[in-house]
Amino acid sequence: MIELSGVTKRYRSGEEWLTVLDDIHLTVAAGEFVSIMGPSGSGKSTLMHILGCLDVPTSGSYRLFGRPIERLSAQELARVRNQEIGFVFQNFHLLPRMTAQKNVELPMMYAGVPRRERHRRALELLGQVGLADRAHHLPNELSGGQKQRVAIARALANRPALLLADEPTGALDSATGQEIIDLFLSLNADGMTVVLITHDPDVARRARRIVRIQDGRLVTGAGEEGRP
Amino acid sequence: MNLGEMLLSAWTAIRSNKLRSFLTMLGILIGVSAIITIVALGQGGQAAVIATIESPRLQNTIQILPKETLEPGLPQPDQILSFSDQDFQLARQFSGVEDVYYTLYGQATVASDGRVVNAELDAGPQYLNEIAHFTVVQGRMFTDADVLAHRRVVLLSPSLAEKLFTGAPRVGQTVQIGGQPLQVIGIAAPAQFNLLGSFLGTDYVYMPATTCRDLFPWWSISEMDVEVKPGIDKVDLGNRIVTALNIRVHDSNAFEESTRFYAGLEQTIGQVTRILTLVIGSIAGIALVVGGVGVMNIMLVSVTERTQEIGIRVSLGATQRVILLQFLIESVLITLIGGVLGVLLGVMGSLVLRAVTGLPTTVSGWAIAVSLVFSTFIGLVCGIYPANKAARLNPIDALRYE
Ligand SMILES: Nc1ncnc2c1ncn2[C@@H]1O[C@H](COP(=O)(O)OP(=O)(O)O)[C@@H](O)[C@H]1O
Ligand SMILES: [Mg+2]
Repeated sequence: MIELSGVTKRYRSGEEWLTVLDDIHLTVAAGEFVSIMGPSGSGKSTLMHILGCLDVPTSGSYRLFGRPIERLSAQELARVRNQEIGFVFQNFHLLPRMTAQKNVELPMMYAGVPRRERHRRALELLGQVGLADRAHHLPNELSGGQKQRVAIARALANRPALLLADEPTGALDSATGQEIIDLFLSLNADGMTVVLITHDPDVARRARRIVRIQDGRLVTGAGEEGRP
Repeated sequence: MNLGEMLLSAWTAIRSNKLRSFLTMLGILIGVSAIITIVALGQGGQAAVIATIESPRLQNTIQILPKETLEPGLPQPDQILSFSDQDFQLARQFSGVEDVYYTLYGQATVASDGRVVNAELDAGPQYLNEIAHFTVVQGRMFTDADVLAHRRVVLLSPSLAEKLFTGAPRVGQTVQIGGQPLQVIGIAAPAQFNLLGSFLGTDYVYMPATTCRDLFPWWSISEMDVEVKPGIDKVDLGNRIVTALNIRVHDSNAFEESTRFYAGLEQTIGQVTRILTLVIGSIAGIALVVGGVGVMNIMLVSVTERTQEIGIRVSLGATQRVILLQFLIESVLITLIGGVLGVLLGVMGSLVLRAVTGLPTTVSGWAIAVSLVFSTFIGLVCGIYPANKAARLNPIDALRYE
C-alpha cells in the first residue's frame, strides 16, 4: 500500500541545509498496524505529512496504492486526502465553531455526499466511537478523549483505506490514551491499515510492527519488537 | 460542495463573529445609505422644482409673454412690456378658451395700526390658490364677484398676520396697502414646501388681480394665462392666439407662447440636479471604496487568524478552489449584507428627510440596484486577494501554526 524509497526532506535555514528525513525506505502492506516511534524532533510529523500527501519529499519516490504521488495534480491529491486517507492529530484539530456532528460531516461535504446521508453517517460514526449523545456539542464542551474520538470519527467519514495518526495520545492521560489505542486496534481488526506515530514506547509496543526513527533515519532491524 | 452549502458555511462564519462582521460591513453600509439618500434627495428636489413650475392647473394653461422676456438682451424701445385690455378681449374670443387671466407679483408694504411689514404680494383670479399654492386655513378665499368688483379684500399668510395683529380675531381686520384700506377676509398658508418661498420668506398677501391693478397701476401685466378647455390642442391654440395678437393688435412679433421656454427651464433644472447628484454621489462612492479597503483588511487578518482552520480543511480534502470560494463568498456576503442594510438605512433616511423638509424624496429602484451590484462587486474585488492567499497557504505551515 505504502512504498517509500529513498525519501529525503531538507529544509534550508540560512546558509545551511537541514536534513529532516534522510533516505527513508519503508513499505507498509494493506491491513498492517505500524508504529513509527522516535524522540521529539526526529522527523516523525514530517514523515506523516509526506505519507498523507500534505507535503512532498525533496527527493526520492512515494507510491501510494501503486501510484507515484509526485505525478498527481493538486486536485487529485485533494481527492486522495479526502477519500483514501484519514488523519488524526495530537491536538485533535477540530474546527472550534462547529458541533461534533458538523466536524464529522466536513470530509463528506467536500466529497459531495448529500445532506441527509451526511447526517445519518455522522451520527452512526459518533455512535461507533461512543459519542452518540454528544453530537451537538461544540469541541470546547468535550473532554480531550472525547475530542479525539470525534477526530477519529471524522477521519473515518469517507471510509478511507489508510488511517494516519500523529501522536494521538500525546495530549491525553494514559488511561484515555489506552482507550484510543484500543479503538485503533479494533479498527485495524476490521481491516483498516493504521500508521501510528508516537514517542511513547508503551503506546508503540501495542502495534504489530514498530519502526524506529532517529535524526531522520530509520533504525534498521527494529521490525520484530511489537506484540506477537 | 455546492454553492448553497458554501453560502451557509459563510453565513455561519459571519454570524460566529457578529461584532467584527458588523464593523467590517460598516463602511459599505454608510456608503450605500449615503448614496441612496442623496439620490432620493436629488430626485425629490428636482420633482419639487418641476411641480412648482407645472402645477396641475398650469398643465392646460398657455402662458403668453411679451417676446422680450423670453429673450436675453435689453428690450427694444418700441417693445410691448405689458398686456392691454384689448389683448385680453381678443384672446377670450377664441373657441376652446376656458378662461383668460393674469397674475401680478411684487413686493408691498402692509401696515396695520402703526406696524409695517414688507411682504410678497400675489394677485390673480379666484383660483389663485391653485396657481400660487396656498390653502385657506381661516376665513374665505376671494370669489369671482370680488375679482369683478375690484373689491378691496386680502388674505394674509399666518406669519404675516402674526406680525400685524396681536390678538385674534384677525379675519375682519383692516390693513393698509399702497395707502388704501383693505379688509382681511382670510388667512392662507403657503404650501409646506415651496422652493421659491424658502428663498423669499413666508410673509404673503393674496388679493384679486383687479384690486392689485387699482393699487399699483404701474405694475406691468407681463404674462397672459390662457386656460384651454379639455381636449383642446394647447400648442396649436397658443400659436393661433399669439399670431392674432401680433398681427391684429400690435402689428409686430411682440408676443410668444412660453411652452418652449419652460421646457428649456425644466431641462436646465434637471441638468443641475443631475450634476449635483453625480458629484455628491461620487463622494459617497469614494466612501464605498474606503469601506471596501476595510473589508479587504479584515479579510486578510481573518485569513491569518484562521490559518490552522485552513490547514485542517485541506487535510480533510478541501481543494484550493473550495478554500478560495469559501473566503470569497464570505467577503461578498459581508459587503452584500452591508449593502442591504445600507439600502434600508438610506430608505429610512430619505423618509425622515421627506418628513423634515417636505421634499418629495423618491428612492429609485435604479439607485438600489446599482448600490447592491456595486457592493457585491466591492466584495469580489476586495475578497479575491485574501481568498487567493488562503487557497495558496501551504497546508503544513497551516497545520503547524499555533
Ligand atoms: N518548515 C520547516 N522549516 C525548517 N525546519 C523544520 C520545518 N518543519 C520541521 N522542521 C524541523 O524538522 C525537524 C523534525 O520535525 P518534526 O517532523 O515535527 O519532528 P517530530 O514530529 O518527530 O517531533 C525538527 O527539527 C523541526 O525543527
Ligand atoms: Mg511531531
